[in-house]
Amino acid sequence: MSVGEAQAFSLRGQGGKQNLYEKTFVVLLLVAVLIGVASLITLLIDVLRVGAPRLSVDFLTSLPSRFAARAGAQPALWGTLWVISVCTLFSVPVGMGAAIYLEEFARKGRLATLIELNIANLAAVPSIIYGLLGLAVFVRFFAMGRSVLAGGLTLGLLVLPVIVLSGREALRAVPSSIRDGALALGATRWQTVSRQVFPAALPGFLTGIILALSRAIGETAPLITMGALTYVTFVPNSLLDRFTVLPIQIFNWTSRPQSAFAETAAAGIVVLLAVLLAMNAVAILIRSRYQRKP
Amino acid sequence: MSKVMKRSSEITLDIKPVPTGGTPDDRPESEPIFRVRDLGVRYGGLLAVRGVTADISRNQITAIIGPSGCGKSTLIRCFNRLNDLIPAASIEGQVLYHGVDLYGPAVDPVEVRRHIGMVFQKPNPFPKSIYENIAFGLRVNGMTDDIDARVEHALQGAALWDEVKGKLKSNALSLSGGQQQRLCIARALAVEPDVILMDEPASALDPVATSRIEDLMESLKEDYTILIVTHNMQQAARVSDMTAFLTVEVSDDGHRTGVLVEFAPTTELFTNPRDPRTEAYITGRFG
Amino acid sequence: MADPSFRPRPLNVRRHFDEELRELEIKVQAMSAAAQDLVAQAVRGLVENNSQLYDQVIQGDDEVDFYYLDIERRIVALFALQTPVATDLRFLTALLHINLHLERVADMAVNIAKIGQSVVDLPRSQVIITHLSEMSGIALKMIAASTDAFARRDMELATKLPSMDDPLDRLNRGMMRAILPISDDKRMLQWAIGMHTVSRQIERIGDHAVDIAEQVAFLITGEFREFTDASHPDKAG
Repeated sequence: MSVGEAQAFSLRGQGGKQNLYEKTFVVLLLVAVLIGVASLITLLIDVLRVGAPRLSVDFLTSLPSRFAARAGAQPALWGTLWVISVCTLFSVPVGMGAAIYLEEFARKGRLATLIELNIANLAAVPSIIYGLLGLAVFVRFFAMGRSVLAGGLTLGLLVLPVIVLSGREALRAVPSSIRDGALALGATRWQTVSRQVFPAALPGFLTGIILALSRAIGETAPLITMGALTYVTFVPNSLLDRFTVLPIQIFNWTSRPQSAFAETAAAGIVVLLAVLLAMNAVAILIRSRYQRKP
Repeated sequence: MSKVMKRSSEITLDIKPVPTGGTPDDRPESEPIFRVRDLGVRYGGLLAVRGVTADISRNQITAIIGPSGCGKSTLIRCFNRLNDLIPAASIEGQVLYHGVDLYGPAVDPVEVRRHIGMVFQKPNPFPKSIYENIAFGLRVNGMTDDIDARVEHALQGAALWDEVKGKLKSNALSLSGGQQQRLCIARALAVEPDVILMDEPASALDPVATSRIEDLMESLKEDYTILIVTHNMQQAARVSDMTAFLTVEVSDDGHRTGVLVEFAPTTELFTNPRDPRTEAYITGRFG
Repeated sequence: MADPSFRPRPLNVRRHFDEELRELEIKVQAMSAAAQDLVAQAVRGLVENNSQLYDQVIQGDDEVDFYYLDIERRIVALFALQTPVATDLRFLTALLHINLHLERVADMAVNIAKIGQSVVDLPRSQVIITHLSEMSGIALKMIAASTDAFARRDMELATKLPSMDDPLDRLNRGMMRAILPISDDKRMLQWAIGMHTVSRQIERIGDHAVDIAEQVAFLITGEFREFTDASHPDKAG
């Protein structure tokens, strides 16, 4: 090929303009990530900085008080633990069961599509509505009072759609070849689902549960609506006791005029985050056990 | 091997012991294991396959070949009632298995699948250990006496034991494609079926793995009846005793239906097919 | 439940095909032996003037025909079912030809027997009989050698066949010289003319042996070359 012909065939590409466009786009995406991450890190550092001085065993074992230095998170902490436990015990089995039934056993048709649509809508309903629902159904109709039980169940209803939806996604992600393979061996539908499909979908389920409970632990409005207290001087002892939770307690502290309560509030936030992290860690541990890769 | 169909209250099935080994010709009173009469499958009202009539002999390999869209997979899934899983699918005609109508009102499809196993096109081992893959089938079928020995026997039967005996607890997905498929065969063998259906078992495998599967099939037919769907004609020619050729008929309104064109001993079909459509397909002069 | 003594067979992925090929090797050797026997019997019939042998030859041809059809059918089936390539393909096509040549050899034996039958009462010349005996000896050795070369895939032996054919050709041409002096006795002349045909049959048996050797060479080398071309006798393979 002569030198003159070399110009007609070139692999040089479109040149600088294309590259610049690409690079700019990637940088913009990176900036978006950094905004989110930076905000979170800033918040964490700030909270730890402000709240660390107040963190101590005393803080966790003391009751709230008018005096910032003596205020503790014990009732709120225990309230949170109680309520989240009730919420989990209610929403996880019910949510998983509903997801399994809707995805594996229900006949697909217009009714099934309608149900799916409605569950998606429920997941988007503002949480305060669930508070009103909890008030009417659990507190009044079932006469549970403004108790831990009612609060937990209210939160349970709140997160139920999330668990059902993510559970259905997790089940859908299990390839149908697994079901075919199990059925072809002479397994019943139930054996197939319980022994092959569900274990395979479990990591997905747990991810949904983590998301749901992480949301629940921070909910304030619905619990206030159905009657959680904002100033509590006792630790709940039974399901029917009144209660408060960490987010409410934190809100209470931040709305106090004394500047010292800012520290207390920050310490409370740290405690809340610690509980959240602990919960997630447990769930992730369970998930990784079931997710053993080849 | 005497089996009783449980769970279907009306029908009890006693299968006469099948002598193993030997060719069907040695046994003068060998009945066909399947009698298919005018079998058709509809998806949502439209015929996907129609008018299939054939007798399948036991301890033989019967191949089903044909162009894509002719309903080969649909047809083979009629034999273990796997089409039941598709809500829009319905069956016409009759499939008699040892004289019993597979689609009879009192027949339990789960029970059918215990006698008629299946291996799929893409190897689909469960995401569990090799051991558990086989143990699952044993457990759901109540064959829990000495699972260890049964697992070993099944893996031997699928010519996989030597390769995996040291790593039974490792994840099945860590095996190669060919090994995974042999694991699926072992899994099917473990529940002691009568018939093994294979839906393009080697189409996702490399030629070496394919040859091993073919060799395995030849030894399996001594104890089982095998139906295999394959788009690889040379494979059908190599391994099968009988071959069924299906093709697509296009109706006036453009709807495609699969029909059985010819069903003959493999040697005959590949040296002297009777139907010009068969000749056109197997000589590669089609479409 | 599980049989501890159960050991799967070693893996041979084209076991069925290989077994079929082995069957064919055995059959073609048996066919060659049968064809050689027929030729030997026919010539012995001439030597001993034993018409019983002629009948045996004609009946014995059925056995060779049976081999021929069986081998032919098996080869066609293997082409259809096993899609042979490379050595397998050359083996089967070579065998197809060899099968035909051996069947022709047996036919030649039958021809010799029929000629023998037709001249059984005529006076004979010992010279010519000895001549024919010598020829048939060479021809039989050639058939045996070519079949042996096939069995052992022996290229060296296969290439020797054309040279084994030379004395046979010479003897065949010499037949005319042996027959001509018999012109006085008309009956013996009639017999001798029959023997001339026999001589040509035997010579053609030798040609078939060379053809078989050509097939063996093709099987081994993958190249098909004629060892001796009748239209260009100087251009030997």
